[in-house]
Amino acid sequence: MSKQQKRILALSAALALSFGIVPNVSAMHIMEGYLPGGFCIAWGILCVPFLAAGFFSIRKTLQEHRSLITLLAMSGAFIFVISSLKIPSVSGSCSHMTGTGLGAILFGPSAVSILGLIVLLFQALLLAHGGLTTIGANTFSMAVAGPFVSFGIYTLCKKSGMNRRAGIFLAALAGDLFTYCVTALQMALAHHADTTIGGALAKFLVVFAPTQIPLAVIEGILTVLIVMGLETYAKPELKAIGFIKEGK
Amino acid sequence: MITIDKLCYHSKLRYENAGEKFAFAVITLCICVMSRSIAVACIVLAATGILSVWKGGIPVVRYLRFLTLPLAFLFLSTIAIMFHIKKTPLDLFAIPVGGWYITTSMDSFLYALQLILTALAGVSCLYFLSFSTPVPDILHVLRRLHCPGLLIELMLLIYRFIFILLDTASAISTAQSCRLGNRDYRTSLKSFGLLGSVLMIRAVSRSGKLYDAMEARCYDGRIQVLPENHPPKKKVILWIVLFDTALLLFAIWRKFLV
Repeated sequence: MSKQQKRILALSAALALSFGIVPNVSAMHIMEGYLPGGFCIAWGILCVPFLAAGFFSIRKTLQEHRSLITLLAMSGAFIFVISSLKIPSVSGSCSHMTGTGLGAILFGPSAVSILGLIVLLFQALLLAHGGLTTIGANTFSMAVAGPFVSFGIYTLCKKSGMNRRAGIFLAALAGDLFTYCVTALQMALAHHADTTIGGALAKFLVVFAPTQIPLAVIEGILTVLIVMGLETYAKPELKAIGFIKEGK
Repeated sequence: MITIDKLCYHSKLRYENAGEKFAFAVITLCICVMSRSIAVACIVLAATGILSVWKGGIPVVRYLRFLTLPLAFLFLSTIAIMFHIKKTPLDLFAIPVGGWYITTSMDSFLYALQLILTALAGVSCLYFLSFSTPVPDILHVLRRLHCPGLLIELMLLIYRFIFILLDTASAISTAQSCRLGNRDYRTSLKSFGLLGSVLMIRAVSRSGKLYDAMEARCYDGRIQVLPENHPPKKKVILWIVLFDTALLLFAIWRKFLV
Protein backbone atom coordinates (compact mmCIF):
# COMPACT_ATOMS: atom_id res chain seq x y z
CA MET A 1 0.00 0.00 0.00
CA SER A 2 1.26 3.43 -0.81
CA LYS A 3 1.31 6.21 1.71
CA GLN A 4 -1.70 7.93 0.20
CA GLN A 5 -3.73 4.75 0.18
CA LYS A 6 -2.94 4.24 3.84
CA ARG A 7 -4.00 7.75 4.62
CA ILE A 8 -7.30 7.29 2.78
CA LEU A 9 -7.85 4.03 4.64
CA ALA A 10 -7.25 5.67 8.01
CA LEU A 11 -9.53 8.58 7.12
CA SER A 12 -12.32 6.33 5.94
CA ALA A 13 -11.97 4.17 9.04
CA ALA A 14 -12.34 7.23 11.23
CA LEU A 15 -15.39 8.30 9.24
CA ALA A 16 -16.83 4.79 9.42
CA LEU A 17 -16.48 4.78 13.19
CA SER A 18 -18.31 8.03 13.55
CA PHE A 19 -21.05 6.81 11.23
CA GLY A 20 -21.29 3.41 12.81
CA ILE A 21 -22.47 4.81 16.13
CA VAL A 22 -25.77 6.02 14.76
CA PRO A 23 -27.65 3.86 12.27
CA ASN A 24 -29.69 6.53 10.52
CA VAL A 25 -28.12 9.92 10.04
CA SER A 26 -30.36 12.40 8.41
CA ALA A 27 -30.05 16.12 8.33
CA MET A 28 -31.02 17.56 11.65
CA HIS A 29 -34.79 17.77 11.57
CA ILE A 30 -36.20 18.52 15.01
CA MET A 31 -38.70 15.75 15.54
CA GLU A 32 -42.42 16.09 16.14
CA GLY A 33 -43.39 17.11 19.66
CA TYR A 34 -39.85 17.98 20.70
CA LEU A 35 -40.36 21.71 21.15
CA PRO A 36 -42.83 23.23 23.62
CA GLY A 37 -45.85 24.97 22.09
CA GLY A 38 -44.61 28.52 22.63
CA PHE A 39 -41.35 27.87 20.82
CA CYS A 40 -43.14 26.25 17.88
CA ILE A 41 -45.26 29.35 17.43
CA ALA A 42 -42.36 31.77 17.95
CA TRP A 43 -40.12 30.11 15.35
CA GLY A 44 -43.07 29.93 12.99
CA ILE A 45 -43.67 33.66 13.30
CA LEU A 46 -39.97 34.34 12.79
CA CYS A 47 -40.19 32.56 9.43
CA VAL A 48 -43.17 34.53 8.18
CA PRO A 49 -41.31 37.56 6.72
CA PHE A 50 -38.93 35.30 4.78
CA LEU A 51 -41.76 33.13 3.54
CA ALA A 52 -43.82 36.16 2.57
CA ALA A 53 -40.87 37.62 0.65
CA GLY A 54 -40.37 34.28 -1.11
CA PHE A 55 -44.06 33.96 -1.85
CA PHE A 56 -44.34 37.41 -3.40
CA SER A 57 -41.19 37.01 -5.46
CA ILE A 58 -42.44 33.67 -6.78
CA ARG A 59 -45.85 35.13 -7.54
CA LYS A 60 -44.33 38.05 -9.40
CA THR A 61 -42.10 35.76 -11.44
CA LEU A 62 -45.02 33.52 -12.26
CA GLN A 63 -47.25 36.41 -13.31
CA GLU A 64 -44.60 37.42 -15.83
CA HIS A 65 -43.73 33.93 -17.01
CA ARG A 66 -46.55 31.49 -16.35
CA SER A 67 -44.56 28.63 -17.82
CA LEU A 68 -42.02 28.68 -14.99
CA ILE A 69 -44.45 27.01 -12.59
CA THR A 70 -43.53 23.51 -13.69
CA LEU A 71 -39.85 24.36 -13.49
CA LEU A 72 -40.30 25.70 -9.98
CA ALA A 73 -42.23 22.62 -8.92
CA MET A 74 -39.58 20.37 -10.48
CA SER A 75 -36.95 22.25 -8.48
CA GLY A 76 -38.91 21.59 -5.29
CA ALA A 77 -39.27 17.93 -6.13
CA PHE A 78 -35.56 17.83 -6.97
CA ILE A 79 -34.65 19.15 -3.51
CA PHE A 80 -36.95 16.56 -1.93
CA VAL A 81 -35.56 13.67 -3.95
CA ILE A 82 -31.93 14.69 -3.43
CA SER A 83 -32.54 14.87 0.30
CA SER A 84 -34.34 11.53 0.41
CA LEU A 85 -31.69 9.58 -1.52
CA LYS A 86 -29.14 7.65 0.46
CA ILE A 87 -25.76 9.25 -0.01
CA PRO A 88 -22.67 7.07 -0.06
CA SER A 89 -21.35 6.70 3.46
CA VAL A 90 -18.51 4.49 4.36
CA SER A 91 -20.08 2.01 6.73
CA GLY A 92 -23.28 1.41 4.79
CA SER A 93 -25.48 3.25 7.25
CA CYS A 94 -27.96 5.55 5.60
CA SER A 95 -27.49 9.27 5.66
CA HIS A 96 -29.11 12.05 3.68
CA MET A 97 -28.19 15.45 2.33
CA THR A 98 -30.16 18.56 3.18
CA GLY A 99 -30.07 19.67 -0.44
CA THR A 100 -30.96 23.22 0.53
CA GLY A 101 -27.43 24.52 -0.03
CA LEU A 102 -27.54 23.17 -3.56
CA GLY A 103 -31.03 24.63 -3.96
CA ALA A 104 -29.88 28.05 -2.78
CA ILE A 105 -26.94 28.06 -5.22
CA LEU A 106 -29.11 26.96 -8.14
CA PHE A 107 -32.39 28.76 -7.51
CA GLY A 108 -31.59 31.62 -5.11
CA PRO A 109 -32.49 31.83 -1.41
CA SER A 110 -35.93 33.42 -1.56
CA ALA A 111 -37.38 30.75 -3.86
CA VAL A 112 -35.82 28.08 -1.66
CA SER A 113 -37.61 29.40 1.44
CA ILE A 114 -41.03 28.56 -0.02
CA LEU A 115 -39.86 25.37 -1.73
CA GLY A 116 -38.13 24.38 1.52
CA LEU A 117 -41.35 24.84 3.48
CA ILE A 118 -43.21 22.57 1.05
CA VAL A 119 -40.38 20.03 1.02
CA LEU A 120 -40.31 19.98 4.83
CA LEU A 121 -44.06 19.42 4.94
CA PHE A 122 -43.73 16.48 2.57
CA GLN A 123 -40.74 15.14 4.49
CA ALA A 124 -42.84 15.18 7.64
CA LEU A 125 -45.84 13.53 5.99
CA LEU A 126 -44.10 11.03 3.72
CA LEU A 127 -40.79 10.25 5.43
CA ALA A 128 -41.51 11.18 9.06
CA HIS A 129 -38.48 13.50 9.09
CA GLY A 130 -39.39 16.49 11.24
CA GLY A 131 -42.97 17.18 12.14
CA LEU A 132 -46.02 19.39 11.84
CA THR A 133 -45.57 21.33 15.08
CA THR A 134 -41.84 21.77 14.60
CA ILE A 135 -42.19 22.83 10.97
CA GLY A 136 -41.66 26.48 11.90
CA ALA A 137 -38.36 25.78 13.65
CA ASN A 138 -37.21 23.44 10.91
CA THR A 139 -38.16 25.91 8.19
CA PHE A 140 -36.14 28.58 9.93
CA SER A 141 -33.00 26.46 10.29
CA MET A 142 -33.14 24.58 6.96
CA ALA A 143 -35.06 26.70 4.52
CA VAL A 144 -34.12 30.20 5.73
CA ALA A 145 -30.88 30.31 7.74
CA GLY A 146 -28.89 27.62 5.88
CA PRO A 147 -29.75 28.70 2.34
CA PHE A 148 -29.14 32.39 3.08
CA VAL A 149 -25.68 31.64 4.47
CA SER A 150 -24.92 29.32 1.54
CA PHE A 151 -26.02 31.88 -0.97
CA GLY A 152 -24.14 34.69 0.79
CA ILE A 153 -20.89 32.76 0.84
CA TYR A 154 -21.38 31.62 -2.75
CA THR A 155 -21.84 35.19 -4.05
CA LEU A 156 -18.97 36.42 -1.87
CA CYS A 157 -16.63 33.78 -3.25
CA LYS A 158 -17.78 34.49 -6.79
CA LYS A 159 -17.13 38.20 -6.41
CA SER A 160 -13.74 37.75 -4.79
CA GLY A 161 -12.69 35.61 -7.77
CA MET A 162 -11.96 32.50 -5.73
CA ASN A 163 -11.78 29.05 -7.28
CA ARG A 164 -15.36 28.15 -8.21
CA ARG A 165 -15.19 24.64 -6.81
CA ALA A 166 -13.82 25.88 -3.51
CA GLY A 167 -16.54 28.52 -3.38
CA ILE A 168 -19.35 26.02 -3.94
CA PHE A 169 -17.80 23.60 -1.45
CA LEU A 170 -17.51 26.30 1.19
CA ALA A 171 -21.04 27.54 0.55
CA ALA A 172 -22.62 24.11 0.96
CA LEU A 173 -20.42 23.26 3.93
CA ALA A 174 -21.14 26.50 5.73
CA GLY A 175 -24.86 26.30 5.01
CA ASP A 176 -24.98 22.82 6.51
CA LEU A 177 -22.92 23.74 9.55
CA PHE A 178 -24.99 26.85 10.13
CA THR A 179 -28.20 24.80 9.93
CA TYR A 180 -26.71 22.45 12.51
CA CYS A 181 -25.75 25.31 14.83
CA VAL A 182 -29.15 26.99 14.51
CA THR A 183 -30.92 23.71 15.26
CA ALA A 184 -28.74 23.16 18.33
CA LEU A 185 -29.54 26.70 19.44
CA GLN A 186 -33.26 26.10 18.94
CA MET A 187 -33.12 23.00 21.10
CA ALA A 188 -30.93 24.66 23.73
CA LEU A 189 -33.35 27.58 24.02
CA ALA A 190 -36.21 25.18 24.59
CA HIS A 191 -34.49 22.69 26.87
CA HIS A 192 -32.06 24.04 29.41
CA ALA A 193 -33.64 22.87 32.64
CA ASP A 194 -30.56 22.50 34.82
CA THR A 195 -27.87 24.49 33.04
CA THR A 196 -27.54 27.81 31.31
CA ILE A 197 -28.51 28.23 27.65
CA GLY A 198 -24.81 28.33 26.76
CA GLY A 199 -24.13 25.06 28.54
CA ALA A 200 -27.09 23.35 26.88
CA LEU A 201 -26.01 24.72 23.49
CA ALA A 202 -22.50 23.33 23.97
CA LYS A 203 -23.89 19.93 24.91
CA PHE A 204 -26.21 19.75 21.88
CA LEU A 205 -23.38 20.87 19.60
CA VAL A 206 -21.02 18.22 20.97
CA VAL A 207 -23.54 15.39 20.84
CA PHE A 208 -24.55 16.01 17.23
CA ALA A 209 -21.06 16.91 15.97
CA PRO A 210 -19.90 13.36 15.09
CA THR A 211 -22.83 12.89 12.72
CA GLN A 212 -23.29 16.39 11.39
CA ILE A 213 -19.72 17.49 10.63
CA PRO A 214 -18.82 14.56 8.34
CA LEU A 215 -22.24 14.95 6.75
CA ALA A 216 -21.55 18.62 6.03
CA VAL A 217 -18.20 17.75 4.42
CA ILE A 218 -19.77 15.04 2.26
CA GLU A 219 -22.60 17.37 1.32
CA GLY A 220 -20.04 19.96 0.28
CA ILE A 221 -18.21 17.47 -1.94
CA LEU A 222 -21.44 16.19 -3.50
CA THR A 223 -22.72 19.70 -4.16
CA VAL A 224 -19.50 20.53 -6.01
CA LEU A 225 -19.79 17.34 -8.06
CA ILE A 226 -23.43 18.04 -8.95
CA VAL A 227 -22.86 21.67 -9.90
CA MET A 228 -19.77 20.77 -11.92
CA GLY A 229 -21.74 18.05 -13.70
CA LEU A 230 -24.46 20.53 -14.50
CA GLU A 231 -22.02 23.10 -15.82
CA THR A 232 -20.46 20.51 -18.11
CA TYR A 233 -23.61 18.96 -19.51
CA ALA A 234 -26.46 21.34 -18.94
CA LYS A 235 -25.66 24.92 -20.03
CA PRO A 236 -29.15 25.54 -21.51
CA GLU A 237 -30.92 24.12 -18.46
CA LEU A 238 -28.83 26.28 -16.16
CA LYS A 239 -29.82 29.27 -18.23
CA ALA A 240 -33.44 28.29 -17.77
CA ILE A 241 -32.97 28.29 -13.99
CA GLY A 242 -31.01 31.54 -14.14
CA PHE A 243 -34.09 32.93 -15.78
CA ILE A 244 -35.92 32.47 -12.51
CA LYS A 245 -33.25 34.49 -10.77
CA GLU A 246 -33.47 37.29 -13.34
CA GLY A 247 -37.22 37.51 -12.90
CA LYS A 248 -36.87 38.55 -9.29
CA MET B 1 -40.64 4.06 -3.33
CA ILE B 2 -42.15 5.88 -0.37
CA THR B 3 -43.57 3.31 2.05
CA ILE B 4 -45.83 5.66 3.98
CA ASP B 5 -47.50 6.80 0.78
CA LYS B 6 -48.10 3.22 -0.32
CA LEU B 7 -49.50 2.20 3.07
CA CYS B 8 -51.91 5.11 3.32
CA TYR B 9 -53.59 4.24 0.03
CA HIS B 10 -54.24 0.74 1.43
CA SER B 11 -55.54 2.03 4.76
CA LYS B 12 -59.07 1.13 5.80
CA LEU B 13 -59.55 4.72 6.95
CA ARG B 14 -58.67 6.05 3.51
CA TYR B 15 -62.30 6.79 2.55
CA GLU B 16 -63.24 8.57 5.75
CA ASN B 17 -63.68 12.31 5.43
CA ALA B 18 -60.22 13.89 5.23
CA GLY B 19 -61.24 16.92 7.30
CA GLU B 20 -62.18 14.68 10.22
CA LYS B 21 -58.86 12.86 10.20
CA PHE B 22 -56.91 16.08 9.81
CA ALA B 23 -58.77 17.79 12.65
CA PHE B 24 -58.36 14.80 14.95
CA ALA B 25 -54.63 14.46 14.30
CA VAL B 26 -53.83 18.18 14.56
CA ILE B 27 -55.97 18.93 17.64
CA THR B 28 -54.67 15.88 19.51
CA LEU B 29 -51.13 16.80 18.52
CA CYS B 30 -51.58 20.36 19.83
CA ILE B 31 -53.02 19.18 23.16
CA CYS B 32 -50.18 16.69 23.51
CA VAL B 33 -47.45 19.24 22.74
CA MET B 34 -48.98 21.99 24.85
CA SER B 35 -49.63 19.83 27.93
CA ARG B 36 -46.22 18.12 28.02
CA SER B 37 -47.27 15.57 30.60
CA ILE B 38 -46.35 11.90 30.72
CA ALA B 39 -49.92 10.72 31.28
CA VAL B 40 -51.38 12.65 28.34
CA ALA B 41 -48.57 11.42 26.09
CA CYS B 42 -49.27 7.79 27.05
CA ILE B 43 -53.00 8.17 26.35
CA VAL B 44 -52.34 9.79 22.97
CA LEU B 45 -49.75 7.16 22.06
CA ALA B 46 -52.19 4.37 22.88
CA ALA B 47 -55.20 5.98 21.19
CA THR B 48 -53.50 6.83 17.90
CA GLY B 49 -51.64 3.53 17.87
CA ILE B 50 -54.87 1.56 18.29
CA LEU B 51 -56.63 3.68 15.67
CA SER B 52 -53.84 3.28 13.09
CA VAL B 53 -53.34 -0.44 13.62
CA TRP B 54 -56.84 -1.67 14.42
CA LYS B 55 -59.07 0.74 12.50
CA GLY B 56 -56.59 1.57 9.78
CA GLY B 57 -55.24 -1.92 9.26
CA ILE B 58 -51.55 -0.98 9.27
CA PRO B 59 -49.48 -4.09 10.14
CA VAL B 60 -48.34 -3.90 13.78
CA VAL B 61 -44.71 -4.77 13.05
CA ARG B 62 -44.53 -2.11 10.37
CA TYR B 63 -46.09 0.47 12.67
CA LEU B 64 -43.62 -0.28 15.46
CA ARG B 65 -40.71 -0.17 13.07
CA PHE B 66 -41.84 3.25 11.87
CA LEU B 67 -42.03 4.45 15.47
CA THR B 68 -38.36 3.56 15.92
CA LEU B 69 -37.41 5.66 12.87
CA PRO B 70 -36.65 8.89 14.74
CA LEU B 71 -34.83 7.07 17.54
CA ALA B 72 -31.39 8.26 16.45
CA PHE B 73 -32.35 11.88 16.91
CA LEU B 74 -34.17 11.08 20.14
CA PHE B 75 -31.24 9.12 21.53
CA LEU B 76 -28.64 11.80 20.84
CA SER B 77 -30.66 14.75 22.07
CA THR B 78 -31.70 12.88 25.20
CA ILE B 79 -28.05 12.29 26.01
CA ALA B 80 -27.52 16.03 25.75
CA ILE B 81 -30.48 16.81 27.98
CA MET B 82 -29.98 14.10 30.59
CA PHE B 83 -26.27 14.11 31.31
CA HIS B 84 -24.41 16.98 32.85
CA ILE B 85 -20.71 17.50 33.30
CA LYS B 86 -20.24 19.01 36.72
CA LYS B 87 -17.71 19.18 39.51
CA THR B 88 -20.19 17.89 42.07
CA PRO B 89 -22.21 14.68 41.57
CA LEU B 90 -26.01 14.93 41.38
CA ASP B 91 -28.55 12.68 43.06
CA LEU B 92 -29.35 9.92 40.53
CA PHE B 93 -25.90 8.65 39.59
CA ALA B 94 -22.45 9.93 38.71
CA ILE B 95 -19.47 8.57 36.80
CA PRO B 96 -16.21 10.22 37.82
CA VAL B 97 -13.95 11.29 34.94
CA GLY B 98 -10.76 12.91 36.18
CA GLY B 99 -11.80 15.73 38.48
CA TRP B 100 -15.27 15.99 36.93
CA TYR B 101 -18.42 13.91 37.00
CA ILE B 102 -20.76 12.80 34.24
CA THR B 103 -23.91 12.96 36.27
CA THR B 104 -27.71 12.96 36.17
CA SER B 105 -30.31 14.26 38.54
CA MET B 106 -33.74 12.75 39.09
CA ASP B 107 -35.32 15.91 37.69
CA SER B 108 -33.41 15.74 34.42
CA PHE B 109 -34.25 12.07 34.13
CA LEU B 110 -37.99 12.76 34.50
CA TYR B 111 -37.71 15.72 32.12
CA ALA B 112 -36.02 13.54 29.50
CA LEU B 113 -38.59 10.78 29.94
CA GLN B 114 -41.43 13.25 29.53
CA LEU B 115 -39.77 14.67 26.43
CA ILE B 116 -39.28 11.24 24.85
CA LEU B 117 -42.88 10.25 25.48
CA THR B 118 -44.26 13.55 24.21
CA ALA B 119 -42.15 13.30 21.08
CA LEU B 120 -43.23 9.71 20.45
CA ALA B 121 -46.89 10.63 21.02
CA GLY B 122 -46.47 13.53 18.59
CA VAL B 123 -44.96 11.22 16.00
CA SER B 124 -47.83 8.77 16.48
CA CYS B 125 -50.34 11.58 15.78
CA LEU B 126 -48.41 12.45 12.65
CA TYR B 127 -48.40 8.79 11.64
CA PHE B 128 -52.15 8.56 12.19
CA LEU B 129 -52.58 11.37 9.67
CA SER B 130 -50.05 10.19 7.13
CA PHE B 131 -51.01 6.50 7.39
CA SER B 132 -54.66 7.24 6.68
CA THR B 133 -54.77 10.30 4.45
CA PRO B 134 -53.09 10.58 1.04
CA VAL B 135 -51.40 13.89 0.31
CA PRO B 136 -53.96 15.08 -2.31
CA ASP B 137 -56.70 14.77 0.35
CA ILE B 138 -54.61 16.77 2.84
CA LEU B 139 -54.09 19.42 0.16
CA HIS B 140 -57.86 19.55 -0.35
CA VAL B 141 -58.30 20.20 3.38
CA LEU B 142 -55.65 22.95 3.22
CA ARG B 143 -57.51 24.52 0.30
CA ARG B 144 -60.68 24.54 2.40
CA LEU B 145 -58.64 26.27 5.15
CA HIS B 146 -57.86 29.09 2.69
CA CYS B 147 -54.20 28.30 2.13
CA PRO B 148 -53.02 30.46 -0.84
CA GLY B 149 -53.92 28.88 -4.18
CA LEU B 150 -50.43 29.26 -5.57
CA LEU B 151 -48.98 27.23 -2.69
CA ILE B 152 -51.55 24.47 -3.11
CA GLU B 153 -50.86 24.30 -6.83
CA LEU B 154 -47.10 24.14 -6.23
CA MET B 155 -47.58 21.42 -3.64
CA LEU B 156 -49.79 19.36 -5.94
CA LEU B 157 -47.23 19.60 -8.75
CA ILE B 158 -44.30 18.88 -6.43
CA TYR B 159 -46.08 15.84 -5.02
CA ARG B 160 -46.58 14.49 -8.53
CA PHE B 161 -43.00 15.27 -9.60
CA ILE B 162 -41.46 13.62 -6.55
CA PHE B 163 -42.56 10.24 -7.84
CA ILE B 164 -41.40 10.92 -11.39
CA LEU B 165 -37.97 11.97 -10.14
CA LEU B 166 -37.71 9.10 -7.64
CA ASP B 167 -38.42 6.68 -10.49
CA THR B 168 -35.75 8.30 -12.64
CA ALA B 169 -33.27 8.35 -9.76
CA SER B 170 -33.78 4.69 -8.92
CA ALA B 171 -33.38 3.71 -12.60
CA ILE B 172 -30.15 5.70 -12.81
CA SER B 173 -28.73 4.25 -9.62
CA THR B 174 -29.55 0.71 -10.75
CA ALA B 175 -27.76 1.41 -14.00
CA GLN B 176 -24.79 2.79 -12.09
CA SER B 177 -24.61 -0.25 -9.82
CA CYS B 178 -24.74 -2.57 -12.86
CA ARG B 179 -21.69 -0.80 -14.24
CA LEU B 180 -19.75 -1.04 -10.96
CA GLY B 181 -20.49 2.59 -10.19
CA ASN B 182 -20.42 1.92 -6.46
CA ARG B 183 -17.20 -0.10 -6.51
CA ASP B 184 -15.47 1.91 -3.81
CA TYR B 185 -16.05 5.11 -1.91
CA ARG B 186 -14.54 7.43 -4.50
CA THR B 187 -16.58 6.03 -7.37
CA SER B 188 -19.77 6.08 -5.35
CA LEU B 189 -19.25 9.76 -4.55
CA LYS B 190 -18.65 10.46 -8.21
CA SER B 191 -21.69 8.41 -9.18
CA PHE B 192 -23.89 10.31 -6.77
CA GLY B 193 -22.68 13.60 -8.20
CA LEU B 194 -23.45 12.41 -11.73
CA LEU B 195 -26.84 11.13 -10.61
CA GLY B 196 -27.66 14.51 -9.10
CA SER B 197 -26.71 16.46 -12.18
CA VAL B 198 -28.45 14.10 -14.61
CA LEU B 199 -31.54 14.18 -12.41
CA MET B 200 -31.59 17.95 -12.60
CA ILE B 201 -31.23 17.90 -16.40
CA ARG B 202 -34.04 15.37 -16.72
CA ALA B 203 -36.19 17.38 -14.32
CA VAL B 204 -35.78 20.58 -16.32
CA SER B 205 -36.51 18.95 -19.66
CA ARG B 206 -39.53 17.12 -18.25
CA SER B 207 -40.93 20.26 -16.70
CA GLY B 208 -40.81 21.98 -20.10
CA LYS B 209 -42.62 19.12 -21.79
CA LEU B 210 -45.15 18.94 -19.00
CA TYR B 211 -46.00 22.60 -19.29
CA ASP B 212 -46.54 22.20 -23.04
CA ALA B 213 -48.84 19.27 -22.38
CA MET B 214 -50.78 21.19 -19.77
CA GLU B 215 -51.13 24.21 -22.00
CA ALA B 216 -52.37 22.01 -24.84
CA ARG B 217 -55.15 20.99 -22.45
CA CYS B 218 -56.22 24.57 -21.71
CA TYR B 219 -54.20 25.17 -18.53
CA ASP B 220 -54.93 28.69 -17.35
CA GLY B 221 -53.19 28.81 -13.97
CA ARG B 222 -55.49 26.49 -12.09
CA ILE B 223 -55.39 22.74 -11.95
CA GLN B 224 -58.94 21.49 -11.62
CA VAL B 225 -59.23 18.13 -9.95
CA LEU B 226 -62.52 16.58 -8.89
CA PRO B 227 -62.19 15.83 -5.19
CA GLU B 228 -63.71 12.55 -4.04
CA ASN B 229 -66.54 13.48 -1.80
CA HIS B 230 -66.87 11.59 1.45
CA PRO B 231 -69.29 13.51 3.64
CA PRO B 232 -68.36 13.71 7.32
CA LYS B 233 -70.23 11.31 9.59
CA LYS B 234 -71.97 12.73 12.63
CA LYS B 235 -70.96 9.78 14.80
CA VAL B 236 -67.26 10.18 14.00
CA ILE B 237 -67.36 13.92 14.66
CA LEU B 238 -69.07 13.26 17.99
CA TRP B 239 -66.35 10.78 18.98
CA ILE B 240 -63.56 13.15 17.98
CA VAL B 241 -65.11 16.03 19.95
CA LEU B 242 -65.66 13.77 22.96
CA PHE B 243 -62.12 12.38 22.89
CA ASP B 244 -60.39 15.71 22.43
CA THR B 245 -62.51 17.51 25.05
CA ALA B 246 -61.83 14.74 27.54
CA LEU B 247 -58.13 14.84 26.71
CA LEU B 248 -58.02 18.62 27.05
CA LEU B 249 -59.81 18.54 30.40
CA PHE B 250 -57.51 15.78 31.60
CA ALA B 251 -54.43 17.74 30.49
CA ILE B 252 -55.65 20.90 32.26
CA TRP B 253 -56.42 18.88 35.38
CA ARG B 254 -52.93 17.30 35.35
CA LYS B 255 -51.24 20.60 34.72
CA PHE B 256 -52.94 22.95 37.13
CA LEU B 257 -54.81 20.94 39.72
CA VAL B 258 -52.44 18.11 40.64
